[in-house]
Amino acid sequence: MNALASVLALLRAKLVGFATAPKRFVVTVQRAVYDLRTGKRTPWDVGKSVLMTAFGLSMVLILLFPLFWIFTASLAEGTRLFNTGGIFPDPTTYNLNAYRWVLFESNFFFVDGDWGYPQLVIGGGNGLVPIAFRWAGTETGPGAVFNSLYLVSVTIVAGFGMIVPAAYAFSRRSFIGRKRILYGYVLFTQIGAGLSIATLVALYSLFSSYGLTNNLFILGLFYAAGAIPFNTWLLKTYMDNIPVSYEEAAMVDGASFLDTIREVILPLTKPGLAVVLIFVWLAGWNEFIIAQTLLSPENYPLSVELYNLATEGRFSTPWTRFAAFANLFALPVAIVYFAAQRSVEDGLSFGGMEG
Amino acid sequence: MASSHSGTGASGLARLRAAVPFSGRDWGLLLVIPGVILFSSFMLYPIFYLFYISLTDATFAGSVIGGGAELIGLDNYLQLFGDSQFWTSMSTTWLFVAVSLVIKVFVAVGIALLLNHARVVGKRYMRAAVIVPLGFPGIFTITVWRGMFSDARFGVFNTILGRYNGIASSLSAPEFLLFDVPIGFLSGRWEAFFAYVTTEVWLAYPFMVIIIVSALQDVPRELHEAAMVDGAGFLQRFRTVTLPAIQRPVLFASILTGATSFQQFLIPWVFNQGGPARQNELIIVYGYREAISFNQFGLSAAILIVAIAVIGLFMYAAVRYGGLAEGVGER
Repeated sequence: MNALASVLALLRAKLVGFATAPKRFVVTVQRAVYDLRTGKRTPWDVGKSVLMTAFGLSMVLILLFPLFWIFTASLAEGTRLFNTGGIFPDPTTYNLNAYRWVLFESNFFFVDGDWGYPQLVIGGGNGLVPIAFRWAGTETGPGAVFNSLYLVSVTIVAGFGMIVPAAYAFSRRSFIGRKRILYGYVLFTQIGAGLSIATLVALYSLFSSYGLTNNLFILGLFYAAGAIPFNTWLLKTYMDNIPVSYEEAAMVDGASFLDTIREVILPLTKPGLAVVLIFVWLAGWNEFIIAQTLLSPENYPLSVELYNLATEGRFSTPWTRFAAFANLFALPVAIVYFAAQRSVEDGLSFGGMEG
Repeated sequence: MASSHSGTGASGLARLRAAVPFSGRDWGLLLVIPGVILFSSFMLYPIFYLFYISLTDATFAGSVIGGGAELIGLDNYLQLFGDSQFWTSMSTTWLFVAVSLVIKVFVAVGIALLLNHARVVGKRYMRAAVIVPLGFPGIFTITVWRGMFSDARFGVFNTILGRYNGIASSLSAPEFLLFDVPIGFLSGRWEAFFAYVTTEVWLAYPFMVIIIVSALQDVPRELHEAAMVDGAGFLQRFRTVTLPAIQRPVLFASILTGATSFQQFLIPWVFNQGGPARQNELIIVYGYREAISFNQFGLSAAILIVAIAVIGLFMYAAVRYGGLAEGVGER
């Protein structure tokens, strides 16, 4: 709960910052005008600033153009997207029908959009726990989002359970084979997604022969495995920047070994942990080639559903529906990313690569 | 470190401990082992298995699982190295890596310099906006780019080029400045290659910008001011102050994004499955298609083993000579 509260507080601060940005902009302009009037700055000097700002702004707009385009496309269900009218759909035809389709007809939340509600059945379940859980009110069952959430939970729990202790050990302990394993990890840092596709042929054969296909839990572990090298290294370099003297001081004050972990290491590594959380989450949330190969349709996560939507016909992606689906799919990621953006920047500019 | 949990075992245990090269201070290894095991079983083991498949005449998944495949030694590799498709794919992949890397570096350095410039108002917000692509799933953004590069007469880029043509011809621009619309972005070899590169650059620039901006911010202001006092112009300052500061981060980011470019699968696959006529099959797509579309599991495994070996060598060279693993040794 504490973590949630701090994320919310961070988000709030960000939103306030964004909401008050126009005012600060006006103040900047006013000051420039004042400086001009009083002769503190020459017109040429102010003009250069205006030009540079306009240049920067137009660059940002060009770079974000595809995202803007797909967002407007999601509002245009029922109109032909590629037509003589230009690139953007006519604003007078904007509607939310595509989003309605995602919610109530696609497999996003419930298969075919047939919504249900969770129900506890007392007396059911196995002998140990006489309470069972099931979905009521839906004939088709829960949809892709629940598969995705389950998959990502496994990835995050398994990934964190292995990454955090290992990063600590690499950063603070010397042990046999340390250097070698770390070198191996660094070698594998960038061979994540590509490697899993490269080994897909072998993976499929192996998983089949061990009977592990169509198993979300195993797939979640697989994604965690792929995320280990990069994130362990990332967190290790982050921990390296925490002075050892903090722990020593705590120990002098009588803190036990576990106390130093709880009171010194973990709090100071929070931004690094946030970054690792995002990356591990993304590893499970976005991948779809392996998922599509190993799973059967009833276990498809959102990413596979999105891919199927994108390739329904080779040249006839249903753009508006695809856009609405994709926007809802990317929304949680975008929110977390937005909230933790500063941490991501700090985390990515990790040791080793500074000047 | 202060607390090394050396055990206080019995004498038998002590003798055992003397025999194995594992002492109490090595307990940190225990924290690392689970991750190594998980990683090895899901990542390293499949690579070895893939190598085994590459030595067999397996044609489809069933023949691998059912044991119907026979060992045929290095035949797959010999066939591969005699296949012109392999060399097309390999050279296209390297060209893709090189071209996109060069453009990436220029674009990212340009953006980073601009969004770190003292005269740009609101640069913090622009920086936040500009790295947004990193937060979106690849399948989403890549499909969107396929829509932008649509072959259709009214595809996004074709429409834009058509508008440009209209404006240019109304200004009576010479013929060679006009575009022959609609351009079949995904149906011509080099057009498709251009589309791949554009998308790859767009996907990778945020990472580079983040790294370069943080390096730029570490440059003390005084350095710039001192250089200005000495009368250095923009170019001179760039060469003597900025460049040394961002050299290493740029090299680092180049290695990392170059390695990912080499393994790029989604862009060609989503755009046109490496077409037209298999001319743009980047190496992973080539291997994937041999298995999935042509039922050549053995050959496919050989291709992918070669790809993994190349990328392994690349990363090894990067670690060895690029100082990528600096900080591994120290503790």
